[in-house]
Amino acid sequence: MNDSELNDGLDLEMDRRLTQFARGTREPALPDEVAELPWTVQLGTPRRKPFDFLSNLPGGFSGFRRTAFSLARVGATLAVAGSFLLVVGGSNGSGSAADIVPPVPTPHPIGVVAAPSGPEVVIVTTNGVVDDVMADYIAGAVRRAESDGAAAVIIELNTPGGSLDAMSRIDTSLHSKIPTIVWVGPSGAMAASAGTFITLSANLAYMASSTSIGAASPVAANGADISTAYGQTEAAKTMSIASTTMRAIAQERHPDAVAWAVATVESAQSYSAQEALAAKGINGMADSLADVLAQADGQTVTTSAGQVVVHTKGAATVTVNEDVIQSFLHTLDDPNIAFILLVLGVLLVVIELFHPTLVMGITGALCLALAFYGSGSLPLNVLGVVLVILGIGMLVLEPNLPSHGLFAIGGVVIFIVGAVAFYGSPGPYLPSAVVAWPIIITMAAAAAAYGLLLVGMLMRLRRQPIPVGAGLVGIDGVVGKAARVEKDLSPAGTVYVGRESWSARTKDGSAAARGSNVKVVGQEGLTLIVEKLD
Amino acid sequence: MFAKEAYLTSDVVRTSVRPSIVRDRAFDAVFVSALEPELPMAYRLAGYLMADQAEAQDAVQEASVRAWRGWGNLRERDRFHSWFSQILVNVCRTRLRQRSKRRTLDVDEVDLESGDPFRASLARDAIGRALSSLSRELRMVVVLRYWGELSLAEIADRLNIPVGTVKSRHHAALQVLRRRIEPAEGGTR
Repeated sequence: MNDSELNDGLDLEMDRRLTQFARGTREPALPDEVAELPWTVQLGTPRRKPFDFLSNLPGGFSGFRRTAFSLARVGATLAVAGSFLLVVGGSNGSGSAADIVPPVPTPHPIGVVAAPSGPEVVIVTTNGVVDDVMADYIAGAVRRAESDGAAAVIIELNTPGGSLDAMSRIDTSLHSKIPTIVWVGPSGAMAASAGTFITLSANLAYMASSTSIGAASPVAANGADISTAYGQTEAAKTMSIASTTMRAIAQERHPDAVAWAVATVESAQSYSAQEALAAKGINGMADSLADVLAQADGQTVTTSAGQVVVHTKGAATVTVNEDVIQSFLHTLDDPNIAFILLVLGVLLVVIELFHPTLVMGITGALCLALAFYGSGSLPLNVLGVVLVILGIGMLVLEPNLPSHGLFAIGGVVIFIVGAVAFYGSPGPYLPSAVVAWPIIITMAAAAAAYGLLLVGMLMRLRRQPIPVGAGLVGIDGVVGKAARVEKDLSPAGTVYVGRESWSARTKDGSAAARGSNVKVVGQEGLTLIVEKLD
Repeated sequence: MFAKEAYLTSDVVRTSVRPSIVRDRAFDAVFVSALEPELPMAYRLAGYLMADQAEAQDAVQEASVRAWRGWGNLRERDRFHSWFSQILVNVCRTRLRQRSKRRTLDVDEVDLESGDPFRASLARDAIGRALSSLSRELRMVVVLRYWGELSLAEIADRLNIPVGTVKSRHHAALQVLRRRIEPAEGGTR
């Protein structure tokens, strides 16, 4: 040994003895059987793949290749989703109303009851969340009514609320050159949150019996109370803007209605049609459109063109419908559809990550884009969304982690919790929304079934005997295999099964020489019982 | 006996060979030519580390498989020697740990007729027999030092511990050996 590196105090005598002893025990040499090691088994048939040369370059380019491919895939997916969003955004921008409604007077294209002699009233039927689609729809209808010289526009309103932006756009379009009338109906309809602002900002407002109005306190976009979401200052600001807006709108309507209208904002009060009428918040109660036309006739209103007397008696009505794209996009605001789209989107994108097919990823990205478009007008709860995504992620990770089904169970539970908490509380603009229980239960059951199936498969796999082919011989599956004698069996010795050496003895007690072929016929503990083959 | 138990629980058994890591023959030929010169020394080291022929064979095999799998990621091919012996030492260390969880086999108790060449040659001398009284960590240092003929710095590299620790373990090991031998040899110094 190299003494110079040894420090003081080393037991030199022991050092010398060990050195000598080790040099004297160079034996044994490596047995031939060990020298023919397992890689020959694994060579198999080489499989040529495109770009395979990359993985043979020094420095392990296979990782680079994989990364490059997945980056390209993610890029393509994002590009598709992005262009889709652009298309949606473009068709829905404020400029597009001109496409739907040409500025020149048009012959009534849709659902027309032609009455060229008398006055004409344009009817707009709305349903669902106040969103950009609804704003476009109303703006388009009002503009067309203006250019057609209609006597009035009636908006049939039934909404749980919606986004502030859309609401202000609707309010703006309601201040037009012709009289605008909001009718909350038919029976059972409501004008909640943002709907309250819309109803009160029309020139004339009517409600059917058994309808309601109000519940208009501001909340954050995720439905949380604004004071917790934005802090006190911001909360006070939002609240003050909302009540000021409401005060202005109500003032225009009737001075007596101001206190009542502000209460819908500041204390989230909601009122029946009768209460609204008593508070002078609305102009009257009307159970049908005909009733509205009759009551509105002869009223004097202030439009942007000045004082106008409404002439609606015996007017022909023209109903403007949403176009196909508008009604499709408006459907996305449904809380359940937005939820399903998000779940589907996340699932598909995650599957794409594990099993690249591109189709799944693009479909998933589309679903996500639609889900986020739809949830723009819904009180999405960030925590709920995160939990849903986490739950799906845990389910997908289950087969890749040794969790014995815990991830699957946890994933299902987290998914259910997330789905229940998916939407937060409603507000002045935002509607109240929940995911329907049947949907949650169906999805959770499907997830649980998937988890069970997966765990079952893994369990079966674990119990499977280890195959002998790969140079790996387990305790199972040895009996019946051919073996070669390693050390003479006389009658006990060792044999090679596959590439593993086992203690063995012959069944009949006879001897077998090294190298002869035998067959394993039994097993006693770790000793194999063999029979000579020749 | 141990070999099979250890083998069944080693991860070589658990992870089956995936078709995706099948590479072409030229690639493997380079690997084999790099590995082959290492095998005799690797076998000897494993054998004296574990004092068991079957375990030594298994350990060398397992280390070879691991090396083959990681070969693609080894950037400096000229470091193959030290890289491979690091793998081997790790494999042996894991196996020793697993074995100590089951039962230990003292060289003294072993029937010399069992035919295990490592045990037989260790049993030839008192100092060889005394090796079994060393702890796992001390034994690894001694085997790498005297059978592997590695410098203290090289041992530190293989075991992934500081040189100072190697030094102190070396000292401690020699002291333990002396204490073990002296009663048998009547206190000669």
